[in-house]
Amino acid sequence: MKTYFFIGKGGVGKTTVASSFAVGKSFKKNKTLVVSLDPAHNLGDALNKNVFGQITKVSDYLDAIEVDIDEMINNYLKEMSEKMKNTYRYLTVLNIDRYFDILRNSPGIEEYATLEAIKHYLTLPYDIIVFDTPPTGITLRVFSMPRISIMWTNSLIDMRRRILSRRKMVENVKGPIEEEIDGEKVRVPTEESEDPVMRELFAYKSDMQALMSWFSSEENAVNIVTMAETLAFAESKRIMEALRLNNMKLRRIYLNKYLVFENVPEELAGKVEEQEKVIEEMKREFRDVEIKKIPFVRVSPQGVDALYSLYKDYVE
Amino acid sequence: MKNFLEALKRFFKGIDISMRESATSLIEHELAELENAFALLTMSMFSGLPFPSTGIVLRILPYMEREVRVMSKRSADLEDIFAETLSHFDID
Repeated sequence: MKTYFFIGKGGVGKTTVASSFAVGKSFKKNKTLVVSLDPAHNLGDALNKNVFGQITKVSDYLDAIEVDIDEMINNYLKEMSEKMKNTYRYLTVLNIDRYFDILRNSPGIEEYATLEAIKHYLTLPYDIIVFDTPPTGITLRVFSMPRISIMWTNSLIDMRRRILSRRKMVENVKGPIEEEIDGEKVRVPTEESEDPVMRELFAYKSDMQALMSWFSSEENAVNIVTMAETLAFAESKRIMEALRLNNMKLRRIYLNKYLVFENVPEELAGKVEEQEKVIEEMKREFRDVEIKKIPFVRVSPQGVDALYSLYKDYVE
Repeated sequence: MKNFLEALKRFFKGIDISMRESATSLIEHELAELENAFALLTMSMFSGLPFPSTGIVLRILPYMEREVRVMSKRSADLEDIFAETLSHFDID
């Protein structure tokens, strides 16, 4: 399986380029899934089909989905609430609903849900998965999350070890540590193998390691969709830096909405000049990366056929 | 005689328990502090501090009952934290 991420600022045409790429791959008989992770979805508009919330067949080899991130967050919290009701004997300790309201709006929850979505789709049997991503900032945080989470998890594992070792010391002197909750005696775990928190920490760490190694593998490639403008170029440089930090490979840069004129209108002369200057700088900066120009079109391509012709002409 | 031996046994058992208590009281205090810190660290978002990796919290929160209780108890005892600390060093 191969995965392709399309990343860039809002409004540069990520969805069009990503869906066109997916259509092109599916026309070559690769079983392809295109996933929109952007909360402001318009993959369905590009494909002319409602693909919100569930994997929908678009053509013979192409499926698509706009992931409902809010619904995913609600499902996680519901699942967790069920787990807590089963494991917490002493529920009055915390007002679970209040905690969940905070969790639902806590920083990082969207990135977590996005990462979980990516993890889930990676397990599906497709030859190619194309991810249309949220605007750059969120996507880069998602890419960094496995690396940062592993650092945090390692520190928490160390701390947990210290807790378990103190519990063991007390147990050695005084016998098993027991807590009485609602009249019932519960033994407190002292070994790593019997501590559910430790088990979850290790499971989380191994999930994050698997994602991190997938992100940096040869099977994964990141494409930047941008425009030939000074600010967009500055952002592309930051993306490149962030990818390098996460050991991820930049495959291609698509310069979308590229202005082509036979005779340059006077009002746009400055813009065209800026465009050429940016391209020159870009070529110098990203020497090993292929740069593809996609000209500005009057009407955005919609539907499988229009997207395929865009693929043939410019995206391939 | 039997009663005397029984009383003697209880006496030594009492000494044993008290020695074990005093041997572990500091470790138990440290343990409660560590558990409290662990809960505070992983659930910092509930006190307004962002935690860099929400995913970890979602995974471990269902199993953190003891730590949450220790944390709640510690915050309730905060008003008397000075007295509690002194008591660990046998200062009256």
